[in-house]
Amino acid sequence: MLNTPEVSPAGRNVLTAVVIVAALILQVSVANRLPLPGGVTPDLVLLTVVALALVNGSLTGLVAGFCAGLAADIIPPADHTIGRYALVYCLIGHVCGLASDEMDRQSLVPFFAVAAGALVATVLYAATGMLLGDPRASWTIVTRIVPLQVLYDVMASPFVVWAVLRVTRRFERGERPSRDRSVVPAASYRSGVGTRL
Amino acid sequence: MKDTRRTRLVLGLLLVVALALITVDYRGGESSPLRGLRGVGATVFGPVERASAAVVRPIGNTFDAFTDAPGERRRADRLERENQRLREQLRASRLDQNRAAQLDRLLGSAGMGGYKIAAAKVISAGQGFEDTVTIDVGSRSGVRPEMTVMSADGLVGRVVRVGPATATVLLATDVTSQVGSRLEDSQEIGIVQGRGRRGLGDGGGTPLRFQLLNATAPMKVGQRLVTLGSQAERPYVPGVPIGVIERIDQPVGDLNRIAYVRPFTKFTSLDVVAVVVAPPKADPRDAVLPPKPKPTPSATPSATPSGKPGDRKPAGDGKPSKKPSTKPSSGD
Repeated sequence: MLNTPEVSPAGRNVLTAVVIVAALILQVSVANRLPLPGGVTPDLVLLTVVALALVNGSLTGLVAGFCAGLAADIIPPADHTIGRYALVYCLIGHVCGLASDEMDRQSLVPFFAVAAGALVATVLYAATGMLLGDPRASWTIVTRIVPLQVLYDVMASPFVVWAVLRVTRRFERGERPSRDRSVVPAASYRSGVGTRL
Repeated sequence: MKDTRRTRLVLGLLLVVALALITVDYRGGESSPLRGLRGVGATVFGPVERASAAVVRPIGNTFDAFTDAPGERRRADRLERENQRLREQLRASRLDQNRAAQLDRLLGSAGMGGYKIAAAKVISAGQGFEDTVTIDVGSRSGVRPEMTVMSADGLVGRVVRVGPATATVLLATDVTSQVGSRLEDSQEIGIVQGRGRRGLGDGGGTPLRFQLLNATAPMKVGQRLVTLGSQAERPYVPGVPIGVIERIDQPVGDLNRIAYVRPFTKFTSLDVVAVVVAPPKADPRDAVLPPKPKPTPSATPSATPSGKPGDRKPAGDGKPSKKPSTKPSSGD
């Protein structure tokens, strides 16, 4: 279900799927239970989608976003209309993938991308709720939650982006001797990573 | 990316699929064909969540363990891991003690009310705007949708969806949750609604809102609420403590007063809960409520003992009428 059908090597798809599932599980069983002030928790799945899109481009970003969103829609404690997260994450993955072309040149792009992604995704998700007449997404509640949610997302973003980059990078490094095709993308974004971190 | 046409095609396709999913699920409501997907989600992710809860719970900061670089310093690594394991054992045993204590209290309150319960642990929680948790009992343990969930302190919520080994609980603080409830020691009934405990503002302290059905009935700060009990005891069994009225607002131009309720259950740190699998045979009334904080103000029983209202000194039965032990008259 989570395998992204595309041209890049299968190993990377599997890795993407594993990263997404890990993020989902961490989200529901760890992050959502953190007793943070305000009761709002950072959205690790969103941040993972953004990070994957920044590394792999917009096609991977949008497919990964759709799959992650659909999984977030049906993972047990979820109780909203199915497809809302799929829609939002798919769009965010695509847009952040487009921003990844700029990434090699400017070192601040990832952080802006994450912050903007968090803001847009939270607002968009709330907007879908309002369109559907969801009582949970009434205006008062949205204005209470959204600022805090964006703040937490931005605060958590360096860690998540770093973790995703690190996992994918280690995988690429391990894969390099056996596969020739993965050398080029690995080198290209690793140089980007070096300048950023 | 080179092939932007392809990317756009895929984007358009997936967006259409997502919109279609939303439409189908929204129009279908509770009987939508996509609820089966949720079942698949529960079957697939439920065991994973259980496992991860078992692994993740004692550690707390798993990130260290994940990012821990293996390689040159094997010995340090091994020692650290051993240390970690021992620490985990310590922490786990402390957690177990804590849980055993909670379970004891839970069984105590279940015994008081005569509820038959299935004990469960919370293994994951929802995000976004919904206030839901997953617990680690499912249809294999006899849990069905629309069952009451309580903790040792009071009402938690109700089961909305059941997987083989997990169940999703809608917390009472969720905005879509409505619980029929009753003021203690009077028969006045009303509805407790969730108002969401997330975000800025005062939702954290009083995440519940209570409105009496009878707008003129008396209600005061400090009164406590228990569940009224639904028809056929689904979804809510009677007599489960809910919370204490913290303040009462009367909006301008509105007849109805709104009371803000502080729940007995601590929703931020839910751990051991119980699903009421069989309701009590008789309504426990206020029996499950914790002992009153201050024992004085029970001097105004709404049911004045039999007959003469203000007459405090009848010659013959002065003693018995002083104590309002009139169970039949206050019963119904």
